[in-house]
Amino acid sequence: MSPHGETLTAAGTAPAGTTTDAVPGDPAGTRTDGPARRRRGRWAPYLFVGPAGLLFLAFSLVPIVIAVALSFQDTATLGEGSWVGADNYRTMLSDPLLRTALLNTVVFTVGTVPTAMAIGLALAVALNRPLPGRGVLRALFFVPMVAAGVVVGVIMSWIFNPDYGVANNALRALGLGGLPWLTSPRTAMVTLVLVVVWTRIGFCMVIYLGALQSIPSELREAAAIDGASRWQRFRRLTVPMLAPTTSILLILNVVFSLQAFDVIYVMTGGGPGFSTTVLIQYVFRSAFADARMGYAAALGLLLVLILLVFTLLRQRATKKAEELL
Amino acid sequence: MPTPVAGTGNPVARRLSRRSFLAVAGISVAGALAACSGAPTGTKHLRLSSWNIPLDLESYQAIADEFVAAHPGTSVAVEVTTGQFHQWFITRLAADLAPDIIRITPQQIGRYAANGSLVDLTGAVPAAYQDDWSEPFWAIGAKEDGLFGVFQHTDNFITYYDRRVIEQIGVDVPQSLDEAWHWDEFLEIAREAQRLTGRYGFGYGWGGPETAYRWMPLVYQNGGAFLGEDGMTPSMDTPEAVGALDFGGRWYADGLVSPANMSKSGGGAVGRDLFATGQTGLLLDNPEAIAALDEARPDEWGTTYMIRNDGEASDLGGNALAVTRSSKHPELAAELVAFVTSRTNVAEFCRRGNWLPARSSLDAADIGYQRHESTMQQFIDQASTIPLSMVRAQSGPYFSSLNSVFADYLDLCFLGELTPGECGTQMTEAMRSVTTR
Repeated sequence: MSPHGETLTAAGTAPAGTTTDAVPGDPAGTRTDGPARRRRGRWAPYLFVGPAGLLFLAFSLVPIVIAVALSFQDTATLGEGSWVGADNYRTMLSDPLLRTALLNTVVFTVGTVPTAMAIGLALAVALNRPLPGRGVLRALFFVPMVAAGVVVGVIMSWIFNPDYGVANNALRALGLGGLPWLTSPRTAMVTLVLVVVWTRIGFCMVIYLGALQSIPSELREAAAIDGASRWQRFRRLTVPMLAPTTSILLILNVVFSLQAFDVIYVMTGGGPGFSTTVLIQYVFRSAFADARMGYAAALGLLLVLILLVFTLLRQRATKKAEELL
Repeated sequence: MPTPVAGTGNPVARRLSRRSFLAVAGISVAGALAACSGAPTGTKHLRLSSWNIPLDLESYQAIADEFVAAHPGTSVAVEVTTGQFHQWFITRLAADLAPDIIRITPQQIGRYAANGSLVDLTGAVPAAYQDDWSEPFWAIGAKEDGLFGVFQHTDNFITYYDRRVIEQIGVDVPQSLDEAWHWDEFLEIAREAQRLTGRYGFGYGWGGPETAYRWMPLVYQNGGAFLGEDGMTPSMDTPEAVGALDFGGRWYADGLVSPANMSKSGGGAVGRDLFATGQTGLLLDNPEAIAALDEARPDEWGTTYMIRNDGEASDLGGNALAVTRSSKHPELAAELVAFVTSRTNVAEFCRRGNWLPARSSLDAADIGYQRHESTMQQFIDQASTIPLSMVRAQSGPYFSSLNSVFADYLDLCFLGELTPGECGTQMTEAMRSVTTR
């Protein structure tokens, strides 16, 4: 029952006999809602949810169930396989390439997420003020987000080519000499982080911009009258007010980083050596290059588990922070 | 009394109208689904899938049209293989929607021949065909339990040189396979070329991590092998294989090759780009470089044979045609494969697409290449140096996985992260973990 009582029940679900609206062909209005109409009304919400539910079932839930089943099988191609119990999970424990991929994933995520969010916030604060060409600047920063990952990867491979790339030519023009960028295991991950941060800051900026504009200006004005400096207003007022947005952005960015595949695949193929091999790449390699569908499914589920644990921890932390406020 | 019109207020008429609408919609959807389901229409329809190379797609369609004209009641559509091959093919096989015929590389075919994804063409392809294929080229499709593909065309690596650089060095260019530069000679020339270009000596024609195998001929040139005689035992830890890794390591340690020119580095054909822009004096690459060099540096380059050491070897490029298990008309599909790989059609396909024929009886004059006939003949001659054991290794059931391992460890060796000895040992161990799965 609705907390507001029966008056707010959905159309067609009101108690029998209370509706006396005339219907065409029943000018006297003698026809009242019968059990058939009530039944139809009861199904209405399900009909609305139905299409989305079916899509979720077909493209999310069923594949997840299949992936779980596949993770307990040894199969080279989709469809056929033999049950091997927890062998795939046991293999994960002693797989050195998985350890490398996990470590690289952590480095990549830690490198991209806070950097993209911090720059995105700084840009949002800057572009939240009346500036000439503000709209153009906002659009320019957002453009990389809508560019296809493969396109970004190809263009960036050229830009960071140590022999004829724009990046080294610019450095040489400044008399700084070139960098190996993607060709050294020591700089390849940093280069990838730079590229991914560049694609991500526009997204963070737009979300923060929306959140900044929802902070009442009276609060800032009151703080200014009370003598708070610009930095204090930002630190003590703006940042806490942005906490829910930051929380969502953090989760989204971590998800993006764990799923970052195309740019890395195109720019380094996981190399040099194993220096940029991340977990999602290893899943792909296991499935299609190594033809180990069962193992790839187990790795995919590990990725889901990591995301799940992170999201739960983050939600718990946010809840605690809200309770403290 | 006038007949009630739907939607004019008569509830009965309106309910009927709605029902009618739903019925019509249902029938339409069912009809549309039936039409899409490929229900038998009397015509035997085949689908042939190829890489997205416009000239090749046109050639296949032209050959297919001839086939259809000779086979009333059939139709053939040429499609494009999209995205990453294994992902594309595995998912389509799982849905039983793979094309009838696929164009597949020697490095990809082994897995699918071994796991029952391809149809045995024995009997459908004329027995005389085998006589016109070299043993290595026939072995790409011919496995112990059947014939799972017919190698249609090939390509391999030879040496491109900058005419100005070679003239300044004053070295004679080999005119036959026997005269091909040995490793030490080649490195000397490359050092001179590096001095003259001021950047690098030469480039190598990799095209991404999936083409790491293009470096494998160097192992065979040094008398080594990727897999043993049984085609299954990893053997990259032999002195010959380690010697080859050492040779490759020197390319980078001496600065003769750009570190951006490795199998796993991105950016496409880096070696080719460096040669086209005059930053290297030599290039080891396949015939695909010709078009790019014609555009960038017409008449400024020449070609000679692939380098060699104790032995000769070159890259195994090209494609076979195979019939998939999804085919509803495998006999007809096999017939089309035989038709496409007939002598006439192989010659025409190679002429239009600038490919090398898999058939031994065809030379450059028979094909009538529109440009660079002597260079194309060098490629055709070089094809005879592709070793059978390398073909068996690359067209074996585990090769896709082994190729990833090869790419990983070549990178580590060439970057100096591992010594050639360590690389050979660790690569062999990693390969063993694949072959013993």
